[in-house]
Amino acid sequence: MKKKIRVLIAKPGLDGHDRGALIISQALRDYGMEVIYTGLRQTPEQIVASAIQEDVDAIGLSCLSGAHNELFPEIVKGLKAQGAGDIIVIGGGVIPWEDIPFLEEQGIKKIFTPGTPSIETAKYIEKVVCQRDGISLENPVDLIEKVDHIGIAVQSLDESLPFYLDILQLKLVGIEEVASESVKVAFIDARNVKLELLEPISQSSPVHAFLEKRGSGIHHVAFGVGNIQERIDEIKKKGIQMIHDAPKPGAGGASIAFMHPKSTNGVLYELCEKPSKERL
Amino acid sequence: MEHENDFEQLFKEWQETTKKLMDRFPERKETFQTSSSIEIERLYLPEQLDSTYMEKLGLPAQFPYTRGIQPTMYRARHWTMRQYAGFGSAEETNKRFRYLLDQGQTGLSVAFDLPTQIGYDSDHSMSKGEVGKVGVAIDSLEDMEALLKGIPLDKVSTSMTINAPASVLLAMYIVVAEKQGISPDKISGTIQNDILKEYIARGTYIFPPKPSMRLITDIFAYCAENVPRWNTISISGYHIREAGATAAQELAFTIANGKAYVEAALEAGLDIDQFAPRLAFFFNAHNEFFEEIAKFRAARRMWAKIMKETYDAKNPKSWQLRFHTQTGGSTLTAQQPDNNIVRVTVQALSAILGGTQSLHTNSRDEALALPTEESARIALRTQQILANESGVADTVDPLAGSYFVEALTDELEKEAHRYLDKIKELGGAVSAVEQGYMQREIHHTAYETQKAIEKGDQIVVGMNAYQLDDEPKPELHRLDPELSANQVRKLSKVRSKRDQQRASAQLERLRRAAQGSENLIPHIVECVRTYCTIGEICGVLREEFGEYTGI
Repeated sequence: MKKKIRVLIAKPGLDGHDRGALIISQALRDYGMEVIYTGLRQTPEQIVASAIQEDVDAIGLSCLSGAHNELFPEIVKGLKAQGAGDIIVIGGGVIPWEDIPFLEEQGIKKIFTPGTPSIETAKYIEKVVCQRDGISLENPVDLIEKVDHIGIAVQSLDESLPFYLDILQLKLVGIEEVASESVKVAFIDARNVKLELLEPISQSSPVHAFLEKRGSGIHHVAFGVGNIQERIDEIKKKGIQMIHDAPKPGAGGASIAFMHPKSTNGVLYELCEKPSKERL
Repeated sequence: MEHENDFEQLFKEWQETTKKLMDRFPERKETFQTSSSIEIERLYLPEQLDSTYMEKLGLPAQFPYTRGIQPTMYRARHWTMRQYAGFGSAEETNKRFRYLLDQGQTGLSVAFDLPTQIGYDSDHSMSKGEVGKVGVAIDSLEDMEALLKGIPLDKVSTSMTINAPASVLLAMYIVVAEKQGISPDKISGTIQNDILKEYIARGTYIFPPKPSMRLITDIFAYCAENVPRWNTISISGYHIREAGATAAQELAFTIANGKAYVEAALEAGLDIDQFAPRLAFFFNAHNEFFEEIAKFRAARRMWAKIMKETYDAKNPKSWQLRFHTQTGGSTLTAQQPDNNIVRVTVQALSAILGGTQSLHTNSRDEALALPTEESARIALRTQQILANESGVADTVDPLAGSYFVEALTDELEKEAHRYLDKIKELGGAVSAVEQGYMQREIHHTAYETQKAIEKGDQIVVGMNAYQLDDEPKPELHRLDPELSANQVRKLSKVRSKRDQQRASAQLERLRRAAQGSENLIPHIVECVRTYCTIGEICGVLREEFGEYTGI
């Protein structure tokens, strides 16, 4: 069961600018957390008391008035004094970069500066709370991000390419050899997904065996994933047999691994992690 | 056809009165020309003046004032360049004020720290960490004397961003002027004094709505009699916009608040034409260039119609919406801060094309800290460049007649009226605020904007697009860490030096007045004169009025 994380969003001091506090409250709620917002003008003592009373996992402090150096550490001290030092404290607002090391030294776990996407803050809170509680993050990211490409086995790239390029007028991304699979591949950009044409370059290629057995046609479907080794482990945990237990190099610098068709109702699925700069 | 002749006649009359006015207030130059020696006329009009034009736009300085409130606008005098400043101690801020005046700034604008804005003395426990941070710390008359030292209060107009304790700061200003030998009828300036937008968006309220509205109408009445050149309120859309509102929401909620103040003053028995000419407005100049220009023009037209038609004001000065503008602080990015200079320039230009009376341009580093002196200077220079080099100030309302701008002006007016109708249904602005209506509407818009930025649907250059991997770390303004302790020491010295018995007696008189219904301002002036502190004065009122705690 997933842990429901409770967060107190607080405005210490006299600052009345709560656009940020209100937005982060709603963003965390939309992410699935329980959020209590204190309202304006809270003293450090009041914030500590609310956090303990509401039994929260984390406190998010927002201050735009420049009083952060005086007020944020008071809250960490107050929590410790009340035996609630395990509550995680983070902060944001108009906080000069020069002040961040001091605040972190004082026990504020992290300072988020203007322009931070709210999802990043949410994921950060989830991560540190789960680390603290020794809970593994359940599905913190999507197991499968998207379909990356569809692999099609062909006898000859030269003969097949004109259909895609001239008749369908799609664009060729590039051609390369993948030694580990003994194939020459051509990537074609089909807008929302890529097509990967596979021509075997030796008898030992698994694509050669496929062509012998079934002739040309769809060979596999590749899912785009992040952190491929973690995904392989997760899938195995769920009882799916992998052809590759560890990722190996694929085309375009990707890391890939195949699931066994015996576990997947006869479809050959690939997991494929692109080098990080391409994923963004 | 006879109409057209009437309009031509009106235009002739306008030309004559304008000429007469120019004898007293001449234009900056004999003639205005472009680089190609094309003469720039004072006013451009459609070929044929018809009733649609006259009703919607009219002539400058004439109802409904869409084209501006002065006949020659910036050809006579540029807008007032009024940079908001204040930090640390009164002495330090006084130095920055004199620097800005030396640099060609034409009016002052005081930023107070949060304890001052919320009526706490610097030694109050709630003031911890906040003394001198977002503005100057003022505890007693002594600080105000130091703040205004050497500044001729009969020549410089001063705007003070102060709301819940506006009466106290105004009282201090009056007494400092008196000590300079200047009588209250010679000083000019503005107090923000707009409590409704504090409940909605800015958060420096003290008292509940009812006594807050009483303080405001007491100020209206007192100033009408004693400080006639003082703008008694600056009805502010600025902070509503900063909290996340759209241009239409900013326009509508500001005008709704303005109506609430007018109604409160009428209920208190004041005559509309006695106080309405001293009402001022304060808007935000945000990113969307043409919409902002249209907003300023629509605001003038709406207010003029409301004052004339709804409240039956007779004095044309009551119909005129005069406004200050500040560029949008929330549009500034912490990333690549120099880009903010460009944002500020575009926003400032929209305020000028919209006919603002005064302008504050933000400094590039305000998403990071208080501005450095260099950043503050660039911000002022931005205005000076627009005024002196761009030529945009050489003709009145240059965008009038643009199909796009006129259509946007009409649409914003319509959209704002839809909100005004809704607020009327809720029982007016005070009641709508108490029900949280405006707050909810603004938060909804703010959250949608945030989502659009995070999804990349709305591009913020340098932040969610065109980022730098390695942001240089700019030099930031640092405050004196000893400031708070020094301020507390100064305060206790004031308390020990003053005639304690007189001070206590004044505070008691104020208390009794607060329990009754007489005008509180004369009592507050007397309290200030005897060096009662802002915390003591607001403390008495807190005890009598109670405190607003939000919704």
